[in-house]
Amino acid sequence: MEDCDGMLQPVELQDFFITFFSAAMVILFGALYAMLFAWGRLHNRPRLVWWGYAAYAGLVAAVLTLADATHLTGLWTWLVVAMLVGYLVAPHAIWHLCQGTHAGMEDEEAAAGQGRASPVHPAQR
Amino acid sequence: MTRVGVLDSSNLTGGQRLAVKYFTVALVLFGAQILFGLLAGLQYLKPDFLYGVLDFNVNRMVHINAMVVWMLYGFLGSVYWLMEDEAQHPVVGLKLGEIAFWVLTLAVTVVVLVYLFVQYGPGDIKTIWFINEGREYIEAPRWADIGIVVVVLVFYFNVLATFIKGRFTGIGGVIVLDLFALAGLYLAGMFFTPNISIDQYWWWWVIHLWVEATWEVLVGAIMAWGLMKTLGVSRRIVQTWLYIEVALMFGSGILGLGHHYFWIGTPDYWFEIGGFFSALEPIPLVAMVVHSLYDAGKHHMKSSNHPALAWLIAHAFGNFLGAGVWGFMHTLPQINLYTHGTQWTPSHGHLAFFGAYATINIAFFYLAAQQWRGNVYMGAGIAGAWRWKWALTLLSVGVLGMTMALLIAGYEQSFIERAINGSTWAGYFEAQNHPWFQQAMWWRQIFGWVTAAGYLLLVWDLLAIGAGETRTATRVGHESEEAEAGAEAAPATA
Repeated sequence: MEDCDGMLQPVELQDFFITFFSAAMVILFGALYAMLFAWGRLHNRPRLVWWGYAAYAGLVAAVLTLADATHLTGLWTWLVVAMLVGYLVAPHAIWHLCQGTHAGMEDEEAAAGQGRASPVHPAQR
Repeated sequence: MTRVGVLDSSNLTGGQRLAVKYFTVALVLFGAQILFGLLAGLQYLKPDFLYGVLDFNVNRMVHINAMVVWMLYGFLGSVYWLMEDEAQHPVVGLKLGEIAFWVLTLAVTVVVLVYLFVQYGPGDIKTIWFINEGREYIEAPRWADIGIVVVVLVFYFNVLATFIKGRFTGIGGVIVLDLFALAGLYLAGMFFTPNISIDQYWWWWVIHLWVEATWEVLVGAIMAWGLMKTLGVSRRIVQTWLYIEVALMFGSGILGLGHHYFWIGTPDYWFEIGGFFSALEPIPLVAMVVHSLYDAGKHHMKSSNHPALAWLIAHAFGNFLGAGVWGFMHTLPQINLYTHGTQWTPSHGHLAFFGAYATINIAFFYLAAQQWRGNVYMGAGIAGAWRWKWALTLLSVGVLGMTMALLIAGYEQSFIERAINGSTWAGYFEAQNHPWFQQAMWWRQIFGWVTAAGYLLLVWDLLAIGAGETRTATRVGHESEEAEAGAEAAPATA
């Protein structure tokens, strides 16, 4: 199909389903990766973290399929890069923020003599 | 003296009593939304049903307007509910707030009656002022628009003055700033230009920037307070996360506006801007997954109000699925070219509005019901717990069912009407008469009835839950919350 305005090439008819499906899988794999990553780190179960990375591999496949079906070339390549990097880094960044916010609290609670059990396994601190 | 298990307004503070009024109207309008949705759905199946009496365009308009207004009532009520607790000060100008509530409710009633009884006629400047402004979703005539602005200003005064006189917390600060943006953006929908592209450009400021920026942030602030109350999460943690969420929501949501500018005659660069930022919009939702797991690990889901917590969990999942997954599936312009304006949009809309906003309002209804009955016990083993569980199940299954049915209809429309037939009239009718579309509309109607059953059960449960219960609720994480609040209040009052 021709570019409709030189910048945008619409999805082909036969790629409709794959477009919807792969777009949904980008978000679902992103959440699955984040969930497995967080759960694995929380309970010190490295195997779950590795399953999380497997989910991220699924996300990579979904992003590349979506990029192919929706013709994400030229400037649009940056969107592919942003999705791949953003979803990889976000759970790590959020995890560090979680640890940071909770660590401050736990220190204060410990100092006040009312410390609660940390949700983070000692090996992960 | 607190009376446990009995609906008694003396159990509530002044702000909470006003909040309950807002919640009551919100619940009535929720029912109106469902009723008019069912009527409009029936008209898809039997186009001559109520034709000339209550036309489809009117049913659809009341269905959507009722939704927007009940959610706003829910948000206003939630802010009145939490304000005194958060600011540690009675609502400033409560009498004015009471008057504003009655003025708003009277205005909403008049506007709906005019919608129902004046359905035809040419549009001119008089109709813009007194009948219908003509903008989809915000059809209220101009007199009502001005009235809404006045009421919102009174509400804003209540909020700002209360937090200034009391304790200005992080949650309070976010609410004050967000309400300023919310009220200001409404002005963008109060004028028109003869150029439809320019007109739509500004109209989307109200629709998108309300829903995907200011509403999301307001809900974030309300949720933060709700998590402290139901799970006992530390104030410092919820506030830190609220700031992060505000940054992520505004960072992706404001320019995500671009996905509405693809096809209205705005410049081509909106394709890239809209596509890029729309792809970022689910990231805050994914971030919440990590954060909620972390906090769930810490608090082991011990809650003082099980129904409210269940609806907050439904909020987290519903927001992720409805706004995140359903939004991204059809947001890139390469596919949105075919899907916009088909049943894809209501498919996404039903799940996103229910998941992101209806759920959190219902959670607050339960918090109100608990306090109204003297902070009654609402934990495991309460009498009649099946009602709230079934209400949650029926409403969720009903909305999910409608979402799936509309998804199938939208897929068929984008395929047959748009892609194969090039958006022609012939294509439109071919798609409307296709068996997939027709069957999907029947399924939508069936799941609409399931939703209605869930609503009736919800109303029953809200009226009955905690009745006769003699135990009071255990407060969760109370000591540490108060200690933090005290520590934070010191500099504010110094």
